[in-house]
Amino acid sequence: MNDRTKTLSLVLVIVIGIIATVLLARFVDARRPAVDVSVTDESLYLNAKTARRMSLGFNGLAADWYWMRSLQYVGRKIINQGENVALDDLSQLNLTLLAPLLENATTLDPEFLDPYEYAAVVLPAIDVKEAIRITRKGIEANPTAWRLYQHLGYIHWQQRDYAAAAEVYSRGAELPGAPVWMEAMKARMAAEGGSRSTAREIYTRMSEQSTDEKVKDMAQRRLMQLDSLDERDGLHKLLLAYQTRVGRCPANWREIEPVLRTVRAPVNASGAPLDPSGAPYVLRSDTCEVTLGQQSRIIIK
Amino acid sequence: MDRTLFRIIAIARNAFREAVRDRVLYNLVLFVLLLTAAAIFIGELSGGQERKIIVDLGLSAMLLFGVFIAIFVGVGLVYKEIERRTIYAIFAKPVGRGEFLVGKYLGLCLTLFVNVVVMGLGVSLALLYVSRGWDPLIVNLWPAVLLIYLELMIVTGVALLFSSFSSPALSALLTFFVFIIGHFSADLKSLSVSMGSTAARWLFAGLYYLLPNLANYSFITPTAHGHAPSAGFIAATAAYALVYITVILAMATLVFSRRNFK
Repeated sequence: MNDRTKTLSLVLVIVIGIIATVLLARFVDARRPAVDVSVTDESLYLNAKTARRMSLGFNGLAADWYWMRSLQYVGRKIINQGENVALDDLSQLNLTLLAPLLENATTLDPEFLDPYEYAAVVLPAIDVKEAIRITRKGIEANPTAWRLYQHLGYIHWQQRDYAAAAEVYSRGAELPGAPVWMEAMKARMAAEGGSRSTAREIYTRMSEQSTDEKVKDMAQRRLMQLDSLDERDGLHKLLLAYQTRVGRCPANWREIEPVLRTVRAPVNASGAPLDPSGAPYVLRSDTCEVTLGQQSRIIIK
Repeated sequence: MDRTLFRIIAIARNAFREAVRDRVLYNLVLFVLLLTAAAIFIGELSGGQERKIIVDLGLSAMLLFGVFIAIFVGVGLVYKEIERRTIYAIFAKPVGRGEFLVGKYLGLCLTLFVNVVVMGLGVSLALLYVSRGWDPLIVNLWPAVLLIYLELMIVTGVALLFSSFSSPALSALLTFFVFIIGHFSADLKSLSVSMGSTAARWLFAGLYYLLPNLANYSFITPTAHGHAPSAGFIAATAAYALVYITVILAMATLVFSRRNFK
């Protein structure tokens, strides 16, 4: 066997070997049993303090790793669920590892603000005490970060504890660099904590301030939900007016299309008004109510 | 004095050339690949934290790669010359053992300097890429790079000290231990205060002051948040490194001068 033949044979072995490896990997993947939930949600090996101690000078990088693992953990569960779920309502996903992951990320790098935001947005639906504890820990480590007060205020607001939310917004508003609306939020919480306009203000600020695209997206979807609630109230009023005038509820949207056009509601080809996600609203002529369509991306809860 | 300096520079230059010939700087290729991959893909995974992660990853890799070079090249600096018997040719000339050690040390420090500067430029470029333009973190980056370099200089000195009397494998292991314990200096200090027995307190206090306090050179995480160390802090840590290295090299010279190569 001369040199050329030997080289060609080796190259052939390498190429065939790589192809065989890829094929075998696909074969094994197709036959791999589903991963047990108890394995994917197995407790972390290291608690936060031990992880910090063992990280030597690499605590920032280790915090990044725990942060990205938190995002992947939540993302994977959302994908597996395959439904239209909101980031702030993931209680059905059994995210048992999220709190320890965020705890490790924030202990390794206490100045890393994004995990606190994630804890404030995602954790309350799973473990509200942990969400409050982690956010308070963030405030202790970063006493001048007004955004953490915004996050803590948001958790209290979600729990309908408007007095606590007002107090937190008030403390945050006193910090140097805090925006003026923090002070306004305090007053709004105290006066009308449960109102739709307060919710709109909260999600508008969250959408403006967040650096996390997922949180921004969640806030924007919540704003769309609020818009849709307003729109449904308006449509309901129109239907009631029609019912009073004609003596019955319209059988379909076409019947009130001229009225919809006068209020400049966007409608589709069949005359149905569109929700903020672009899907047509459904008219229930038996009860004279308006509901979201099946294609709608608007959060229901 | 001039001749001593000349000889040290000649040995340092040679040590640097040898490191380049040994393809030590090839680690830069790996570093560039790592950063390029991070800059392109990390945005998808990090939830908008690309800049922080680029700095954490870049500076951590700089420290890790640098420590590996300092340990594995550092422990072989003297040993290779003895094994190849080239040390006889060197000492046949008017070269002192101290000059030889200092020259070797400076040669490896020069290699590490080139390494960290290129890596620092790599991190800066990655930041320019992910920020789509100028990023103030690029300015904050360089004091942290300097602190990493000072830490690597200390680790190189420790590796050289161990290699002056021990085998390369043992020297590498001991240097690695010193690197790890050097980052636990805060724990050593608290143990020196909190232990019950006086002997234990003295032991931990002794270890705290004898072993290099490498935790002082860890400024990676604050840098990723846009903080820079003060000039006073950098000057103090640089003075500490200078004094510590001088002591280590003096010890290494003392041990090495007593070695019999016959």
